Amino acid sequence: MKNIIIQEIIKGDIAVSTSDGDLIYNLINDYLLNHKTLTVDFEGISIMTTAFLNAAIGQLYSNPTYSDDFLNKYLHLKNVEKEDRILFSEVVKRAKEYFRDKDRFEDSANSVINGD
Amino acid sequence: MVIYFENNIISDWTGYEKLINLVNDASKIKDDKILFDFAGVHFFEANLCAVLGTIIEILENENKQITFTNFNTVVETILRKNEFLLDYGFQRITDNYNTAVKYRKFIPTDDDGFNNYIKAELLSKKDFPLHSEKLGKKIMQNIFELYENARTHGKCNYIHTCGQYFPKSPEKQFNITIVDRGINIKENVNNFLKKDLTSCDAIAWAMKKGNTTKSENIPGGLGLDIIFEFIKLNNGKIQIVSSDGFWEFKRGIVETKLLQNPFQGTIANLRFNLNDKSYYSLAGEQNEQQENWNFTF
Repeated sequence: MKNIIIQEIIKGDIAVSTSDGDLIYNLINDYLLNHKTLTVDFEGISIMTTAFLNAAIGQLYSNPTYSDDFLNKYLHLKNVEKEDRILFSEVVKRAKEYFRDKDRFEDSANSVINGD
Repeated sequence: MVIYFENNIISDWTGYEKLINLVNDASKIKDDKILFDFAGVHFFEANLCAVLGTIIEILENENKQITFTNFNTVVETILRKNEFLLDYGFQRITDNYNTAVKYRKFIPTDDDGFNNYIKAELLSKKDFPLHSEKLGKKIMQNIFELYENARTHGKCNYIHTCGQYFPKSPEKQFNITIVDRGINIKENVNNFLKKDLTSCDAIAWAMKKGNTTKSENIPGGLGLDIIFEFIKLNNGKIQIVSSDGFWEFKRGIVETKLLQNPFQGTIANLRFNLNDKSYYSLAGEQNEQQENWNFTF
């Protein structure tokens, strides 16, 4: 099983930018496209943002063949700090919504203006 | 041609209004050389150097040349300590108490530059983090979320940033301001929604969880909400100025107000309280606290 160590790829302990997230996404995607199992290792990452995770993980949901079952089978995460774990749930939940219905954003403008 | 700064300038609606009106006033001047006279300023909130730096960038793009004169000693000292004035013929003053946060501008692709700046500026402060590493980590995460938001949405040439630390205030306030002169929130939101929202409504829309103007394969709509939720817990403050909209959240209340002139970009100002003894943990599943955590998609 392939092990991708984030710190080695982004050359630092701060995983915050979309561009670094994109780098990780491309690596993950190469393995998933070939149905190869991999582990992404967050050892030593001190700061992480949703901007990074949207690109690295959320972007996976742009491929409709990557179902939850598929991702659970082929993609594993390890060494994520306890306080960062909530970010993964938020990013995955958000990505599912985002790709399910982009049109819904147009309605939310009305809710701001109308206050509902 | 001289432009006089007649009053103190702090991070509030009036302060932003004064600074943004300057662009309008200076643009109308035919003379290419403009002297900013600070004689009337006895207090200038140093984080606003990020706004002043952006204003100068706008004016320099109009081929204006800006110089400064008549500083009050206190104001000059802080603007030399934070290195804002070094480009204008002033010498650096050593910041012995380490309360200044340096003024810098970054090109949007310089991730490492900004990362190193934040690490250096925050971690060098003796009270950072005052109570827990978790608080320090959350503050840094918030700043990086904000920076990334400016970087990806503004499509600008430079991102200007500056801060100020007040170790003697009871809350030990830390202010940081990030400014870009790219596409503002009103344009971004209205282009995306194909609507004609006011600036304040557009900012309110952008601050709402799940809302994003992104339309490509990388989702968005979480970063500002993360900041918003943290600032609520930390009793801090967020101010956003974009186009002619001013939006502020502090002590549980959102205030919005229009500005006389639009700003060609976005100003985001965050105030954190470092003297915060609360324990922060975003509400998560019990599974997230377990040693053998196994993420399921």
